Amino acid sequence: MYRTVVNRILLSGGSRRLPKYPDIRTVISSSRFSTTTQPQTVLNPSGSSTSSSSSTNFQTSSAAGDVPRHERNNPRAEYEGEQARVLQASLRHVIRLGWSEEAMIAGAKEVGISPSIVGSFPRKEAALVEFFMDDCLQRLIDRIDSGEELQNLTPSQRIYKLVRIRLEMQAPYISKWSQALSIQAHPLNVSTSFKQRAMLIDEIWHAAGDETYDLDWYVKRTVLGGIYSTTEIYMLTDSSPEFRDTWLFLDNRVKDAFDLKKTIQEAKYLAEAVGAGMGSSLQVFVGRVLQR
Amino acid sequence: MALRLLTRNLRNRISPNLCSASLLHSHATSFGFKEVREEEKSQMVGKVFSNVASNYDLMNDFMSAGLHRLWKDRLVSKLSPFPGMKHLDVAGGTGDVAFRILESINSIRRRALQDPINDDLQEETRIYVCDINQNMLNVGKNRALERGLGEDKSLVWVQGDAEALSFEDNSMDGYTIAFGIRNVTHIEKVLTEAYRVLKRGGRFLSLELSHVEIPVFKELYDLYSFSVIPRLGEVVAGDRESYQYLVESIRRFPPQEKFASMIADAGFQKVEYENLVGGVVAIHSGLKI
Repeated sequence: MYRTVVNRILLSGGSRRLPKYPDIRTVISSSRFSTTTQPQTVLNPSGSSTSSSSSTNFQTSSAAGDVPRHERNNPRAEYEGEQARVLQASLRHVIRLGWSEEAMIAGAKEVGISPSIVGSFPRKEAALVEFFMDDCLQRLIDRIDSGEELQNLTPSQRIYKLVRIRLEMQAPYISKWSQALSIQAHPLNVSTSFKQRAMLIDEIWHAAGDETYDLDWYVKRTVLGGIYSTTEIYMLTDSSPEFRDTWLFLDNRVKDAFDLKKTIQEAKYLAEAVGAGMGSSLQVFVGRVLQR
Repeated sequence: MALRLLTRNLRNRISPNLCSASLLHSHATSFGFKEVREEEKSQMVGKVFSNVASNYDLMNDFMSAGLHRLWKDRLVSKLSPFPGMKHLDVAGGTGDVAFRILESINSIRRRALQDPINDDLQEETRIYVCDINQNMLNVGKNRALERGLGEDKSLVWVQGDAEALSFEDNSMDGYTIAFGIRNVTHIEKVLTEAYRVLKRGGRFLSLELSHVEIPVFKELYDLYSFSVIPRLGEVVAGDRESYQYLVESIRRFPPQEKFASMIADAGFQKVEYENLVGGVVAIHSGLKI
């Protein structure tokens, strides 16, 4: 429970900007004898700030707080701004070219920067997808902060609304979204995408107000994570106008999750079924043993 | 280890200018472990490479047990070449890196994924191979012919000095220097020139033999370097002196961190390095913004 509190303090202190894409730094160094990857970054000529970022081959974990504050305002760190500009422009080409290097090259050309910069992104297409996820999360936070639309709704309605708002941001890219999902599922990228999704779920729960039920915090996260993911995947194959079927699906899932009585009933049925199955096989087993 | 870091930090704080200037001066006047005049160094290096040119690739294979191929592959994959790219490979005499870049751009797999409109972009690709030594360039041209790239107008062979390039400002998307920066007289001039010719967004990549810090491996590597390599040079290429120079010059070259800070001094951002084989080879990269 204290994690929610900590998150609230972190997120609500000052402006509610979550760390933008460029702050996803990775701090890992592991070496094998034959090929070692230990890139080190030296940003400042005076040598005052150094941060390490890891290269390929190993799972990366992102720690958003890694970059010291002063570095973000440091004019020498402007390459991060340029990288963000390139990624922003690349998003416009995703619909045509997919979440790929080609889209990023087109984006770089649009912004007037040499496409060589694409090579400086550690996991190229993943960088684009992660940028998009962060961007959407930021837009969601902005909507939450500005919108009074959530005031008069019950928690389940709020969750429905928030998940719907978030998924609608993906609607323009839906034709290529399955590619994005596969990129996120790649072993190299899985930990970052998991963290991004966890942040998203946290944000939605926080906005929906989580004082209602007496469920455990992790269970809540998991349940909402399940609702979100299943709806996202449903959306991939939905061809109804304006994704009407998806929203219906979402509505049903949210209702299911919040219908405590139904959940308890289902849990009871499951327990009975398992018990029956186990009980009968246990009986047979004991019978066989005794027969000897 | 902590003590070494501490003394290094203290030294850097007390006399940074003194330290780096003296280091650069010592590089400019060192020919391996020998002391030479600055003006002479370039000539002496030139002689080394004229001698080794014909056997250069063979010796590379022997000395690195074929690993140099993998290192160059890694360099090119880090570069991420694209069609229509203007690339400069400095000290690239025999063309290894240039061929790889060209092949990466032209690969069938890549073409299959592209838009048809990119085909004419392919025509605009230019890989400039620049080397101060004409003998090395000639070997490279012959190898290009052998690979069927003789008529390819993407490949341009230029004789030139890395410290004073004949290319225009902001004209190159990429700059690589593989196993070359160790041999120049003034490292900082080369870095400044690299910064000058790169476009915004362009990347600098250097592949170079570097310093090994891992305890036991370091001793083995030193043994290999000083005992085996010059002997190999004597037997295979008939030139012990040149290979003695080679292993000595590796030791005199600045270590990874120092070289990275030199690259940052030239104006590059996002300076990183990656150690391969425990530090035997390091790929440094920088971004011009």
